[in-house]
Amino acid sequence: MAVSALRKWAGEAPAPIFVAAGEEMRDRVELLFNDGRLVRAASPRHAAIFLIAGRMRLEDREDLRRLHDQMPHPRVTLLWEAEVGEALGEAERFTGSTLASDKDAGEARRLDEAVRDRLEGLWQELASGERPSEPDLLHDEPPNPWEGIGPHGQGGKGMMGGTPYGRPMAMTSDDLRDGLALDPYTARFGPFLPVFPPGLLLEMTLQGDVIQLAKVLRAPLRQAASDHAPEALLRLARLLDLLGLPALSQRARLAAGDRSSSTLEKLGRTIRWSGATLAIPPGLGALEGHADLRTRLNDLLAIAGGSSPATRPELPESAHLSSLLPGLEWSEAMLVLNSFDDKTLSMLAMVMNEPDEESDGHDHDGDHMHHDHGGHHDHGGSHNDHGGHQGEGGHEDQGDHSSHQSHEHHNRHGGHA
Amino acid sequence: MELIAALLLLLFLSVGFAGAALADGMLPALISGQARPSWRRPIAEAARLLQTQPIRTEAPDALLWFLAPALYLALAIIGLAVIPFGPGLVTIPSEVGIVVWGSCEALTIVAVFMFGWSANAPLPLIGAYRYVAIALPAMLISMFVLIGAALPAESLGFTEIVEAQRTVWNVVRQPAGLILFLMLGLAISLRGPFDYADPADLAGGTTADVSGPALLAWKIARLAMLVSVSAVTATAFLGGYLGPILPGFVWFLLKTALVLVVLVAAGNLFARVPPARMMGVIWTMLLPLSFLMLLAVGLELLLWG
Repeated sequence: MAVSALRKWAGEAPAPIFVAAGEEMRDRVELLFNDGRLVRAASPRHAAIFLIAGRMRLEDREDLRRLHDQMPHPRVTLLWEAEVGEALGEAERFTGSTLASDKDAGEARRLDEAVRDRLEGLWQELASGERPSEPDLLHDEPPNPWEGIGPHGQGGKGMMGGTPYGRPMAMTSDDLRDGLALDPYTARFGPFLPVFPPGLLLEMTLQGDVIQLAKVLRAPLRQAASDHAPEALLRLARLLDLLGLPALSQRARLAAGDRSSSTLEKLGRTIRWSGATLAIPPGLGALEGHADLRTRLNDLLAIAGGSSPATRPELPESAHLSSLLPGLEWSEAMLVLNSFDDKTLSMLAMVMNEPDEESDGHDHDGDHMHHDHGGHHDHGGSHNDHGGHQGEGGHEDQGDHSSHQSHEHHNRHGGHA
Repeated sequence: MELIAALLLLLFLSVGFAGAALADGMLPALISGQARPSWRRPIAEAARLLQTQPIRTEAPDALLWFLAPALYLALAIIGLAVIPFGPGLVTIPSEVGIVVWGSCEALTIVAVFMFGWSANAPLPLIGAYRYVAIALPAMLISMFVLIGAALPAESLGFTEIVEAQRTVWNVVRQPAGLILFLMLGLAISLRGPFDYADPADLAGGTTADVSGPALLAWKIARLAMLVSVSAVTATAFLGGYLGPILPGFVWFLLKTALVLVVLVAAGNLFARVPPARMMGVIWTMLLPLSFLMLLAVGLELLLWG
């Protein structure tokens, strides 16, 4: 009785959706959430529906499977024009349209509405218990062997002896910001971390919340080139979300779907009053010819308000995320990442082939931390790695979905500085 | 008397909590221009979270993870217990109410840190550390501001502070103090421009790896803390239960509701400054400002008091 009452109530909640947006689908997916029946989850842990939209790369499939398993029960997956083979098992497919750009606007809008209805329908079925929750796709097993030897199971002799589950004891190293040395921490972030451009996979070494090293492992997925004003509004919305203004961000998204000059003017005024531009440190994310973040935000406000975008010169050869991000604190880095248009970002985030992939294995010299995570257990593409700090490495029990690992045994190191 | 006050506390907390949940749903919709959600939505969300599987991460600090929301909620309730709801209506009459509230403020740092730490994952941990860095100086500010409110009363008890406001409310004495205290309110209820623990850029920060009932508990504790800090603001700056015609409790409820709405609106209307910059602002601008406010009140009382 109580359970059925709870179920009835739960069905009235907006459908919590975690999104993995593929090629050309980011903007369309973002506009889906203009509907109050759906809510976008910040982490797969908060979601019940996994929406996979658009074409995905082969190498992303493993991450999608892992993300799927990180969602709590009850959960369900919807593939929207997604080509992922059998990676997601028997997940429901929503098709019946090609890309938005090929159709006229009215048709695209009708299809988007159909997707919203289906998502809401799925949530109703799930909440009422009609639809069973989807089982795990991967085995729940650690990436590296436990190697528990020694009095505390640390895996070897002495304090620093072993690497249980492939993770060594944390060690401090030099700091870029203020000289307060913390233990560096290397992990993969992405490819579907909600604050990242879809598809971007970075391997970053963090010290506290400061990025020490960033390496692009997978470039962001190509996005549809749309006309300027809605694109600018959606980019503005993403920045506002990062600045702690979700309500204004939603307003910008609503404005992107339905633009009228009076709403845009009011929106622009509210954003200025919120102190969004002042909040950003001057000079942050400055790029030759592309000004700093504050200027880019002001430009976005202007474009959203109807003025045409200023033409920017070509990027300097050397401009790349691997040089732009280090030294930035996490939330500054996220603002910088989201401040570029798709074309600029794709040039900044090109995958650079480094020849030292093998030589990496030789710099075991104690000064570096060798976070040998083997595989990444992605949380919403987010945290690929836990532990390290606690050193105990006690393995999770069956309830844990965070540590699904890819089966190849990576030997990656934190210290390829 | 204490028993009545204790019952009133329960009533106040439930009414305040319902109001906070409602305001938290309605105001963002109003600001974003979206259709207003139903009043049933917070209950529906709660029902959903209750039926969601609780996630365990790899090697979490399970005990602290479980206790953190409880501690946070307890701090909110303890803080509320030293606040007078009406003349003589205090659950725990204390001559050092400000000290009790101050320790509740300070211990929220522990609660939030525990919550972020226990998941054993990087993004929650960053959120937790960030909160410690920001909340510590924010607590200092709030203490200076509250001492400024206590000076005219020559007492650290909230009842005396309210009585001392019969002539003039503290908000007139130190208007900047009220604003600084509202900032603290945003900080300890993890809200909007001061939400450094659970922000979107950390994929939910300390909650990034929390699902189901635990997430619900955390949300409840956050809202309860919002109610508490609104009540303290109303008491310390807006004359608490003082007011004509209506009974004291009603005045207190109205003033608390006003502060709460202001806090929720502010949480949606002001941008969050990146943490490093915010640290600079707090230590170099806001903290000296709170000093000056304290000095001004002290001089006023010394010369004309």
